[in-house]
Amino acid sequence: MNCDQLRDHYDLFALDIAEQPERDEIRDHLNRGCDVCMAGVRRSLETATLIGATAPPAQPSFQLRRRILASIGEGERWSRSMPSWGWALAMTALIVVAVYFAAGSRQYTQAAARLRDQVRDQTAQIGRLTEAFAILSGPRTIEASFGGTQPQPPQGKVFVNPSRGVVLIASNLPRTPADKTYEMWIIPKAAKPVPAGLFQSRDDGNAMHVQPGTVDVPSTAAIAVTVENQAGADQPTTQPLIVASLPATPR
Amino acid sequence: MMLPLMLAVYAGSDERALIGRLQRRDPQALAELYDRHGRVAYSLVLRVVRDKAIAEDLVQETFLRVWNRVRSIDPEKGAIGPWLLAIARNSAIDYLRSSARRERNAVELDETGHASLYRELEADLLISDQARRVKAAMEKLAPNYRTVLELAYFEGLSQSEMSVRMGQPLGTIKTWVRTALQSLRDELGVAVSS
Repeated sequence: MNCDQLRDHYDLFALDIAEQPERDEIRDHLNRGCDVCMAGVRRSLETATLIGATAPPAQPSFQLRRRILASIGEGERWSRSMPSWGWALAMTALIVVAVYFAAGSRQYTQAAARLRDQVRDQTAQIGRLTEAFAILSGPRTIEASFGGTQPQPPQGKVFVNPSRGVVLIASNLPRTPADKTYEMWIIPKAAKPVPAGLFQSRDDGNAMHVQPGTVDVPSTAAIAVTVENQAGADQPTTQPLIVASLPATPR
Repeated sequence: MMLPLMLAVYAGSDERALIGRLQRRDPQALAELYDRHGRVAYSLVLRVVRDKAIAEDLVQETFLRVWNRVRSIDPEKGAIGPWLLAIARNSAIDYLRSSARRERNAVELDETGHASLYRELEADLLISDQARRVKAAMEKLAPNYRTVLELAYFEGLSQSEMSVRMGQPLGTIKTWVRTALQSLRDELGVAVSS
């Protein structure tokens, strides 16, 4: 379909109620970087966004802001929304805490720093797992295996979702040298490999790597992994350790 | 009623500077993002899930998702408020569908949540006069037209599902949706799919 035939469906697409085949056609145009459809869908998304802003106003709890900051490992800072009595209470608490810590030892600070690091790590981990779950559970996700026929293989699977990204799950990965890392690549059928993130295997040789984003699946031949320098590379510099060829999909 | 909410999501000309700070992993920038858009996101999610505790969990998840994905938005031309609202809405609808074990044929909400679609949108869209005009225009719509738009946006229903819910033929629903969108655009003075 051409852009003229699709323009009446941009609003429906923005509301997630476009039907087939128009929905797939618009998605294909967007994946191809079609300027006409991109501009049209953006205009429709503006309207959809504004419909969202017509929800009846509601006030979240005072704790939500703190929870959100804590989830990225950041403590609450002074909030401009804190009421005046809150400032007094907070100042009093601060003085008590300061006196307490002045008399105490550095171990609390160190413990707090450790906990903060743990929270930050776990938050990043949860974020990664959330992305992976979205890809694995997507109805349009396709999968491909690798390493099944090799004698000493890294083995595993890749899961590719056109609108959500790629998950690679591998086992039997050899440990990389200290100054090296694994790099994943999306290999198009008729273009250069596209870098898709760096990762390391665990001590037991297992690894899961998630690369969020869109993937033009019909144009993609394979997902591959090479060993590269720590900073990664723009193009593969070594032979791939993993090549997972994607099944043919209709465009 | 709408104005205080809109003012609460202050988004000025430094909206895009905020994206840069988020991409540099400045936690205070996330606090500012919450101060600007937290209430609107919460209002939207609460409207969808109708449960305060769940709405707060989903808003938290939304901000975490933005934090994790912020590198995908264009710091020069991206509109982070509309993008955040799309992620919030998609999370809420996903929750609604999974809790009701509703599945739709291969519809993936994330396709309207891609950062690349939120380039060159009006950065202060959520506080612009447009927002009030949409609210007013929605109120002027005939009840059945307003209902189909709300069922689509706030409940994530497909046109077929709306047909069942409203007890109307699918063709009628499609007509209502198109007419509602047309009326909304007419009311806003914008040509359909201009």
